[in-house]
Amino acid sequence: MKQVINDNRVKLTLRGLGIIIILAGLLLLAPKAYGAFPEKPIKVVVYTGPGGLIDISARKFAGIASKYVDVNFVVENKPGAGGIVALKKVIQAPADGYNLYACTKSNIAKFVQVGGEGYLDALHWTAMLMADPECVITNRQMDIHEWPDLVENALAVPGEQTWVGPAAGGLDHVTALKIWDKYGMDAKWIPFKSGGKALAALLGEQGLAYVGNPRDALGNPDLFIAAVSAPERLEAFPEVPTFTELGMPGLENEFMWRGFALKQGTPQEVIDWYDDLFKKVTADEDWKTFWSKGGLDVTYVAEPEFSRLVAEDAEVFEYYLKKSDILPGDAVGFLAKLAIGSQFTIFAILLVLVWLSSSYVVYRSGYSALLGRFMVIGFFLLVSILFLVQSMNFPSSSAVGPAAVPRLWITMLIPLNLLLMIRTFRKNEAASESGPRVDIVLSFIGFLVAYLLLMQIFGYFLSTFVFILAGLYYLGYRNTRNSLIISGTWILFSYIVFYKTLYVPLPLGSLFQNLF
Amino acid sequence: MIELLNNLGDGLAFVMGVIPILTITLGVTMGIIAGATPGLSPSMGVALLVPFTYAMSPTLALILLVAIYIAANYGGSITAVTINAPGTPSSVVTAFDGYPLTKKGKPGMALGVSLVSSTIGGIVGTLILIFFSGPLARFALKFHPAEYFALAIFGLTTVASLGGKNWNKAFIAAMFGLLLNTIGIDPISGVSRFTFGLSFLYDGFALIPALIGLFALSEIFKQLEGGNFANLQMDAGKQEWPSASAYWKLKNTILRSSFMGTIIGIFPGAGATIAAFISYDVTKRLSKKPEEFGKGSMEGVAAAEGANSSSVGGALIPLLTLGIPGSASTAVLIGALMIHDLTPGPQLFISNPDIIYGLLASLLLANIILLVLGFFGSRLWIKVTTIPKTVLFPLIFAVSIIGSFAVRNSFFDVAACLAFGVFGWILRRYNYPVAPIILGMVLGNIAETNFIRAVMMGGWTVFFTRPLSLGMLVVAAASFAVPLIQARKQKQSPEQSN
Repeated sequence: MKQVINDNRVKLTLRGLGIIIILAGLLLLAPKAYGAFPEKPIKVVVYTGPGGLIDISARKFAGIASKYVDVNFVVENKPGAGGIVALKKVIQAPADGYNLYACTKSNIAKFVQVGGEGYLDALHWTAMLMADPECVITNRQMDIHEWPDLVENALAVPGEQTWVGPAAGGLDHVTALKIWDKYGMDAKWIPFKSGGKALAALLGEQGLAYVGNPRDALGNPDLFIAAVSAPERLEAFPEVPTFTELGMPGLENEFMWRGFALKQGTPQEVIDWYDDLFKKVTADEDWKTFWSKGGLDVTYVAEPEFSRLVAEDAEVFEYYLKKSDILPGDAVGFLAKLAIGSQFTIFAILLVLVWLSSSYVVYRSGYSALLGRFMVIGFFLLVSILFLVQSMNFPSSSAVGPAAVPRLWITMLIPLNLLLMIRTFRKNEAASESGPRVDIVLSFIGFLVAYLLLMQIFGYFLSTFVFILAGLYYLGYRNTRNSLIISGTWILFSYIVFYKTLYVPLPLGSLFQNLF
Repeated sequence: MIELLNNLGDGLAFVMGVIPILTITLGVTMGIIAGATPGLSPSMGVALLVPFTYAMSPTLALILLVAIYIAANYGGSITAVTINAPGTPSSVVTAFDGYPLTKKGKPGMALGVSLVSSTIGGIVGTLILIFFSGPLARFALKFHPAEYFALAIFGLTTVASLGGKNWNKAFIAAMFGLLLNTIGIDPISGVSRFTFGLSFLYDGFALIPALIGLFALSEIFKQLEGGNFANLQMDAGKQEWPSASAYWKLKNTILRSSFMGTIIGIFPGAGATIAAFISYDVTKRLSKKPEEFGKGSMEGVAAAEGANSSSVGGALIPLLTLGIPGSASTAVLIGALMIHDLTPGPQLFISNPDIIYGLLASLLLANIILLVLGFFGSRLWIKVTTIPKTVLFPLIFAVSIIGSFAVRNSFFDVAACLAFGVFGWILRRYNYPVAPIILGMVLGNIAETNFIRAVMMGGWTVFFTRPLSLGMLVVAAASFAVPLIQARKQKQSPEQSN
């Protein structure tokens, strides 16, 4: 039996070597970036999960673009941090045009909040393909729903009128701030998790106005578009007045846009290739009818006009975010806070290390059963105190600032732990459920860590194949043929279901990526 | 009413065709698979199919998506029962009693009860959706942030009875879950909290990797530590399945849980998980055998599955009547409707009754197909418990890794999953229940954002000046205190008799 396994190991090693040799050969044979763009699939990086409008836009674009050019477009979802995660993916890759960033105006607000100019300059703003005007929506069932009444009410009760909408600091919030600014109004912005939930609050008469796009008001006759920010009335909503008509200039061009960007420094011939493609897609009948059905107007704005627009957006966001205390006002204070932040991080890491090493000592000592309980309590107390200290640094412009709720949980967590500590001292609780083979657990944790590290180099498929084989062997499963079948089936399953069908970009590994 | 029944009749006539039935069957099958795979959520399943539905007729497209949505909620319970790896957050509650039943060698009982409760829950939810969606939707709209906060607190107090003797540890776990949830960018102010400047922490910890780690991985670590990989000696052919009278005994539990699940499902954002926790808690309190809960109670399984499956019907109420999504999956459905040039909302009932009633009829049919597929499928799922553990464990690790990666395509989530696994293993060694951490992570956002919204809108006293919110908080306080007092009494009485 053992012989079989050894043979098998040899086979595996040989197979691995074989793959490497073939790949190395391919690398040598491959023409070195002299061919015409594109020579491999293009990734369209989307900053949300599947299903959102930007995701649909990206997929539709990919579908139509492949009519005109002979290349595969692969849509990859990289959700997180309002677009920063996706952006990092694009700007960390080479500027070769193979990563197309699908972006919206909301990203600009996030970039301004988090990183400022750096992120904006890292991208070449290639094409803006859609523009969706912003509007104010009210509830027809409420007395105050016409625009002039709304303004009059806001001026009568300064600081009391309630507006609802999506996240603070986003495009809709900033549009509201701009409108209030122009009219000299002072109202409250109550942020909801999504536009839809804010609309529910509007229908539930919990707020007077909502900021979004005209499409949001379709489908429910109680929703009333009070005013739209457009140069002239919209074709689809001819009864809705523009701000200009209502007597307020300077609000005729607030809109949400969607488009695509490339990494800054992408070669000119690649950009030309894209410009040509965007022109063709914009002119495509299928593309136009698809979006007009959804009430959206397609457009095409390229460099340098698009860049100018983005810079303008960033300026406006910065101005209003500072004004509403979402961005810290003076740089000195901000930097000071950052400094505290990094020192604090080092302090926190040290504390955790101390805790981990003392846990190890406790584990090796003869008293682990009793002391272990206190180590767990100690862990919770440690985290509570670290978080409590850090919450002192949060800006607090209002009574219920960002520190309020974490502190609430901490002030409950600390007494609960102290109580448990007393209870543990006073009586012997039921013995902990420990088993004899902690060593197996620890070695498996080691296996898993090694597996994840190897995945970075050798990619998901190879390292998983090896991991499953090793795991089976370690646990004492000695049927080599079945082992190979099990690992192989899993690899096939994950390739077909996750990689191909669900578009999960399983890592191919730095080794193979560099080879290709 | 007559018009409604007429329309529904037309809808039923439509879905009884070959193509709709095939579509539903396909959707249910895919939903069960997506639900049973940790890391694939119903909303992902629905979202990924949206592009495929471009070419289909709008009604068929919706039927397919809704069938996936329904079946995924059931699918989550399969892995919860067989390997203690809940496929969806709401099936955490199913694992409380489902997995102990498997350990006792009775996975058939748990799978049977979970299937039948899911089906009945789904049908009750659909019927409520068909007949009462109008008034219920109007009620849901009046729900103030103060009331959402009170609902979250109410959900949190279920920890008191879940924890039992270990209530102190259970609350620590819940509070820790709530605190973990505050990591990332504050949803209200936009300030980043406890991120230590690390961009992968901006969105905080995702729920699914935590769920996989705390349940699936910690369970394997625990069994590895036990050093005994001998399999439960079970013969899948001779498995024990619940008898008709066993189901009949559960009728009250299933119906009550279904009503509660539908009602809680209506409130946008609350959803299946809170519904399952609250229903489980209420069932335990009303049960004649509360001591069996957590050790393999069929009532417990029925309460969890009845509630989480019926919440689907509830979540569709605000979607169809108001055009407002009640859950992540329904949010994706809105996108799907829009692609087909349909705007969800009251207008849709007037402009496209065929679509609405076709959808409603297909919901009923999808539940029945789920019952049939589940009935035969259960004979298959149960085989999972007969796979040798030496084979099962490496595969569960593989599923966990790929599942946690798939959530956001991020390695951070994989590392977090592993860390949660080790953390959960240590906690379980010291008798801390891990489910409250998940509850805390689910409730944290609802509690926090609504707390702040309520204070912004009505000041600090708003929780006590609104009658509904005050009432819910009083009930929450009572349900928090009662189990503790009972536990104290029980502890004192044996001492006195001694």
